[in-house]
Amino acid sequence: MRLSAAIGLLCLSLWVPCVTAAGSAPVLQVTGQIADGPAVFDMPQLRDLPRATLETSTVVTDGAHRFTGFLMRDFLAQLGAEGQMVTATALNDYAVDIPLSDFDRFDVIVAYSMDGAALDRADKGPLWIVYPRDAHAELQDIRYDYRWVWQLSQIDVR
Amino acid sequence: MILPLVAIVVFAVLLAFSLIRMIEVDTDIRVDAERNMLWVMHQSESAARRLVEATLRAELGEADASEIALRLDLLRSRFALLGDGPQQRFITDIGLAPQMADLRVALQALRPPPEDFTTAEVQQLRLAMAPFAAFFSRAANKTMIREWDDLGGRLETSREQLHQIIVSLLGIMLTGGVLTITLFLALRHSRRSNDMLRRERDFSALLISSSGEGIMAVDDAGTCTIWNPAMAAMTGRTAQQAIGRKMSEIAGFFDITAMRRAVAASLDGKDSNLALQPYFRDAEEPPLHVDLKVSPMRDHGRVIGAIVFMHDASDRYAAREKEAESRARLEQLVAERTRELDDALTRERSAADLYRNFAGMISHQFRTPLAVADSALQRLIRRGPRADAAEIIERATGARNAIAGLTRLVESTLDAARLQAGQVGARRAPCDLIALLDMVGARQRAASPGARIKLRRADAVDAAALCDPAHAEQVMENLLSNAVKYADPDTPITVRLHNDDRSVLCDFSNTGPAIDEADRERVFESGFRGANSASTPGTGVGLFIARSLARMQGGEVSLLPGGAGTTFRLALPRLAGAAR
Repeated sequence: MRLSAAIGLLCLSLWVPCVTAAGSAPVLQVTGQIADGPAVFDMPQLRDLPRATLETSTVVTDGAHRFTGFLMRDFLAQLGAEGQMVTATALNDYAVDIPLSDFDRFDVIVAYSMDGAALDRADKGPLWIVYPRDAHAELQDIRYDYRWVWQLSQIDVR
Repeated sequence: MILPLVAIVVFAVLLAFSLIRMIEVDTDIRVDAERNMLWVMHQSESAARRLVEATLRAELGEADASEIALRLDLLRSRFALLGDGPQQRFITDIGLAPQMADLRVALQALRPPPEDFTTAEVQQLRLAMAPFAAFFSRAANKTMIREWDDLGGRLETSREQLHQIIVSLLGIMLTGGVLTITLFLALRHSRRSNDMLRRERDFSALLISSSGEGIMAVDDAGTCTIWNPAMAAMTGRTAQQAIGRKMSEIAGFFDITAMRRAVAASLDGKDSNLALQPYFRDAEEPPLHVDLKVSPMRDHGRVIGAIVFMHDASDRYAAREKEAESRARLEQLVAERTRELDDALTRERSAADLYRNFAGMISHQFRTPLAVADSALQRLIRRGPRADAAEIIERATGARNAIAGLTRLVESTLDAARLQAGQVGARRAPCDLIALLDMVGARQRAASPGARIKLRRADAVDAAALCDPAHAEQVMENLLSNAVKYADPDTPITVRLHNDDRSVLCDFSNTGPAIDEADRERVFESGFRGANSASTPGTGVGLFIARSLARMQGGEVSLLPGGAGTTFRLALPRLAGAAR
């Protein structure tokens, strides 16, 4: 009860419409230049989005992994996002600016599961921005590596 | 020569070495995210401190259980990250793995407080969290030192590699310089050689073009490659018409067997010479006569074609022709003279034979005319007064004619003046054999009234001979009287007058008994009488005298072969033939 009250309070204080159905906890908030923002999504909503899968290695793990999620490009298009840049923020307040062109050039996904297991908040979940690193040599660069935001909680379109 | 090779080898080795070193530097320069461990440690320390901060705020009632749970999850996520491969290896590397494992066990034991937590529960959690921040602070410290050590080491390695690359590049510059100088020298040498070759070629071309001899070169396929102006002047074909064509297409002359053989021989490496070959420039003009020398053209011992030297030898040919012509004329002259001398000798011999048998001749040639004259005179005596004037004239004329013939014979044969001068040969003068034959024929008819004598002439006969008429008359008389004497009774005796290029011919034919084959030549011998003449009176000198007299005048009496009957031919030189 205290958690839902707190969220309701948070939504109210930020003038964010609470769109979460069935009262489940919101995991991703999108703000800034979108058609009808800000928007808030809980896990079931995100899992209903068209599913995208890619297999790649990461710089913080050994070997390749299979990631499942949704395409950032389609997701932002669905929200009517207009701008040059998004600021992705993690639960620990890690923030990175990502050019929107990245999502056009590469099939960047927001993953919610790795190797078939849901990503956990105590690991790198619940959401992890994953680049198709193995498919493009230019993505094997530290300037792209820092754009892999895990524990993603907010996207601000500018 | 060895220096450029060494330079090239050194150049290649240094270049390969530099390349390898540069690839190594390129690899080293890449920075992996795992190197960014300082940031990971900082974030971990920050997560630990914020959890402590959340518990403190909860104790003050400013934070609820869900915030503590979030901070706890975030700290757990840091441990999850540090437990993954690359991070785990680094922790082990810096020697903090045991402490890390202890802390992980401690963290797993912790549970987030319930929603209605007590201050004591939160305080207990905060106290349990105390070693985490201190651990990450120390880990950050060690990480910094390790990373700087790594960086320093890598920089040193890179600097050393760069140094080696710089030295290699200096070496490359040096060897490159050597190669450049060598190339420059080689180019200059090559240009000089080319200049020299060009000068030599120009000189050769000048030699060929200014040569008075025709020069042609063909390659081993028989295609013309050189054709100098002298060749063009001789043959009437320009260089444009000749060069690049097959020899046989330039002119028919070069396709003759001798020429083809000579070129083939020179392609086999042998020289050939062809002398005074006729070269027809134009069908109407007389040909040039050329000498040819065909030699192989060699390149490094290999025959690559043939060279043909053509020399106009028309003057020499003309001189040789003239010489041959004058020799032929001389030979002809000698032959003519020889024949004339032979003829003269024959005449002399015949005359000598005749004079040697002079008594025989007199008795033979005189007998008949004397008998004719005697019989005519006897008749006149017998007739006495009964003879009228006309008969007297007729018989006397017969006797006189017989005597006149004798007189002519004596005059011709016994010309005292000519005998004295030693000229025993015949006196030769133009003489019409038709008239002479008519006279002899008439006399023979008078002597042998029963004989059927036919005198014939070929159409358009040229009967003008060069001879002594008195002698010719005697020959004809002998031959005609022989023909009459040996003819079968009541058969005709034919005399036919005709001529060939050199001689006037008179054939006396009868159908008497044939002369034996063995006797054919002997009938002309003095005193010979054939087997068929036994029943006929005669001395055997008539034919001998006839032939001797004919030969004295450059003529001949012969017995024609074959056929029915017998034909003797008298040949006397034609006036026209002799004059020619």
